Amino acid sequence: MMKSLLAALALTTALSLPTAAMARPVTLSAKLKDYGGNNAYLALYVTDKNNNYAGTLWLAGSRTRYFEHLAGWYNATGGDTSQINGITGASVGSGRTLEVTLDLKDALFDQGYTLHIDAAAENMRDSPNDVVAPLTAAGAGTPVKGRRYISSFHYSM
Amino acid sequence: MNKKTLTLLFASAALTAAAGLPALSALHDAASGDTAAPLSAFAGSDDQQRPTMLAEDDHEDEGGGVSRAGSDDEEGECGDDDGNCGPAAAAPAPAGSVPPPQNGLFDNSTAPKVQVK
Repeated sequence: MMKSLLAALALTTALSLPTAAMARPVTLSAKLKDYGGNNAYLALYVTDKNNNYAGTLWLAGSRTRYFEHLAGWYNATGGDTSQINGITGASVGSGRTLEVTLDLKDALFDQGYTLHIDAAAENMRDSPNDVVAPLTAAGAGTPVKGRRYISSFHYSM
Repeated sequence: MNKKTLTLLFASAALTAAAGLPALSALHDAASGDTAAPLSAFAGSDDQQRPTMLAEDDHEDEGGGVSRAGSDDEEGECGDDDGNCGPAAAAPAPAGSVPPPQNGLFDNSTAPKVQVK
């Protein structure tokens, strides 16, 4: 009786451990510069080691007519809103910081995946690939400088 | 005064009352602050059915930038200049209202947390 109970316990533990290790909370943090314009639209998406679009992590800004200004993301998705349902929020003001926490799959790290952030603001120049950051475990916490609208970006886990 | 004249007088009084009472009622409503009352004839009596009127979209994009980005994120798309209100133009569902997409990047059993500081 005791032996079979222990075996069952070991089995359930062994089965649950890989599940727990498959994903972990990762916080993506992008601080915007004081560029002095209206709120910025941001698209955070991932490409694989062959630079093919893998999926979207977050899109800040909800009016679809402006999505084309997030050129890299738009070219990859055609502006398909089904890819961003449930991962969309408000656009981000000048000088403010966007923080998004998601349970990211472990397989995204150290496998050649790259996080991109496209940015755009009203009556200002679009900025595809404002941030390009390879996703590696060692890169967590390391600030990455943005090109136009984003002052710095980092992810922590 | 004969019977014919009396009939005419009665008919004109009835017509005046029929036309005048609704107008008087509308005036009364407007004076009491319910200015939406006259619109109910066009858009129904329910507030949810009134058309949304936007007076903001009459300028063009310039210099490859976003026009009107982020000033009113929660609005629908039917106010677009091109009049496109089809499914392709539908605004995406905000975080928390539906589960995240199953794109293989994250565990979508947990809703994302977001804050702007």
